[in-house]
Amino acid sequence: MRPVTPRGFRDVLFQEAAEREAASAAITAVFDAWGYRPVETPVVEGYATLEAAVGKALETTAFRLFDMDGSLLALRPEMTVPLARLAASRLAGEPGPHRMRYVTEVFREQASLRGQARQFTQAGVELIGAAGAAADAEVVALLVEALEAAGLGDFTVGIGTVRLLRGLIDAARMPEAWGRGVTDAAHERNLVELDRLSAEDGVPDAVGEALRRVPRLRGGVDVIDAAGEIAALCGCGDVLTEFRELYALLDAAGHAARVTVDFGVMRSFDYYTGLVLEAYAPGLGLSLGGGGRYDRVLAEFDAPAPAAGFAVGIERLMIALAEQGATPCIRPLDAVLGGGDAPAVFSAARRLREAGWRVRLAVGRDGLDLVREAERVQAEEALVAEAGRVVRLDRAGEPALPLETPTPAPPAATWGDRERGERR
Amino acid sequence: MMASAARRESGRLRMAVPKGALFEGTVDLLVRAGVDIGELADPGRQLVIGTGDMEFIIARPTDIPVYVAYGGVDVAIAGKDVLLEAGLEVTELADLGFGECRFVVAEPEGAARSTEELYRHLGVIRVATKYPRIAERHFAERGIQVEVVKLHGNIELAPLIGLADQIVDITASGRTLAENRLRITDEVLASTARFVANPVSVKTMSERVNGLAARLAEAAAVRAEGERDS
Repeated sequence: MRPVTPRGFRDVLFQEAAEREAASAAITAVFDAWGYRPVETPVVEGYATLEAAVGKALETTAFRLFDMDGSLLALRPEMTVPLARLAASRLAGEPGPHRMRYVTEVFREQASLRGQARQFTQAGVELIGAAGAAADAEVVALLVEALEAAGLGDFTVGIGTVRLLRGLIDAARMPEAWGRGVTDAAHERNLVELDRLSAEDGVPDAVGEALRRVPRLRGGVDVIDAAGEIAALCGCGDVLTEFRELYALLDAAGHAARVTVDFGVMRSFDYYTGLVLEAYAPGLGLSLGGGGRYDRVLAEFDAPAPAAGFAVGIERLMIALAEQGATPCIRPLDAVLGGGDAPAVFSAARRLREAGWRVRLAVGRDGLDLVREAERVQAEEALVAEAGRVVRLDRAGEPALPLETPTPAPPAATWGDRERGERR
Repeated sequence: MMASAARRESGRLRMAVPKGALFEGTVDLLVRAGVDIGELADPGRQLVIGTGDMEFIIARPTDIPVYVAYGGVDVAIAGKDVLLEAGLEVTELADLGFGECRFVVAEPEGAARSTEELYRHLGVIRVATKYPRIAERHFAERGIQVEVVKLHGNIELAPLIGLADQIVDITASGRTLAENRLRITDEVLASTARFVANPVSVKTMSERVNGLAARLAEAAAVRAEGERDS
């Protein structure tokens, strides 16, 4: 047989894997600098656990499986619920807030013939046990800084709050089914249906007008004021107090230019209770990532606590980086090390690595053959280890200068500077 | 999916226009909204038509939701029926009112045993349609067990040759159904053309997308008024 990966799953080979690793590392460094600590959770969760938090959206997204006991399991479709579960169980007795980070695989079921992947890698954080504008601002700032650290030049982060829509729904004093219709239309990004519901009999004029305008409000701090006025007319002007503080904090952190206030930000998971955020790069038809505040999820697990977080899709980020010519550059190998004297090769390789060299072994190879090997793996040098010394080969495969003692700095160390020089 | 950050000439808004029944109404509406449509009205065999700041893609109606959801185009005009059937994530910005059609359930006029009777007896009925998702949703909402048979055209044939007990299909006047001795038993939904956008394009090109939505909605309202008056 000729084996293939199942539909929607794929292998990632050397160059791409190295680039993804570099982008993930840059993001992880930002999370780490903010004091977020790594955690790992199982790839599978009980279906009921996920369902309690995610609700009906899980039906179409979960990659389900049965184990031998007949338990219904699902591959995690995201990391928020697993980390909420972890916080509600293993960390239940510990004082918070908990700051957690991850870069890991998540899985979503997809119908066939849609060209969709079923496995993604997400880099994200969860801040569990902290509420208020400061916690929200921390999450937004982290997303901005993470994307900047990954090398992305052109992007915006849209921030909004679901409290505004909820406030308007409450202010309408309409039957519950109407409110559900409004929420569903918002999740489906169906402004036509939202307009229709806003004009239904019994909806107060002010609320109807607000429902038509709010999802289209987008801009800077002035938009918060505009939304505040609209909400005040509906008698729910206080729903934006915290949001205003959040924006002021982002401004103070110097992130206001990256952030767009957008009360039309809708997330497809319906567990959000406050802040929602989403990152966009021009030309990419899908958001880079997003998240928000989900204060009720932990209550579902009998450990109520406020929580917020986000995830960035590494696949989408890599596409955006490539579009903007900002794919991470991968440092080449310093040398391939050959020679017929195997003990000499091993001993020389150890000395080189101790001096910071990245060295690939080619025991038994020498001359032009070794130079070709160096070219194939794009190493900076072809070296041959002999008893007591290491000799450089020239491009024709002839012995040239012996390597100096003590061992010099690895040639690829200055590579980043050279690369930048060439780009200029 | 590996998103298709399709390269396009910078600054151009890319729009999918459905060929077929909605094409003329779409072109007329674009003109009324003051959009420079270039050669779109008479495209010959071209599928891509560039104008100053727009790029039009002439597309099969059922493919349009895919183009929009995956970012191949920024905006499009598409029938609500097609959008529902695709079930993809697109932002629906305006109801343009034209291209009206309705989905109905129909069965043979002279069915020897009524479908209800069949259902009571067998607990399941077979339904032929071009729109399996819409059909499934309709019957699921009513708690009726159905087996959906997907066909690609001439749905009204299915009951005549014994493939299905009922059909779910689009009708404008009901004439084709009557000619094939089918009677309408239930309304599923009404559909009109919608102006839709890629959820990210709404954010990254917000002024142009929302501006176009407003102009098209206004032009559609003016046109509908004119048609009522005449």
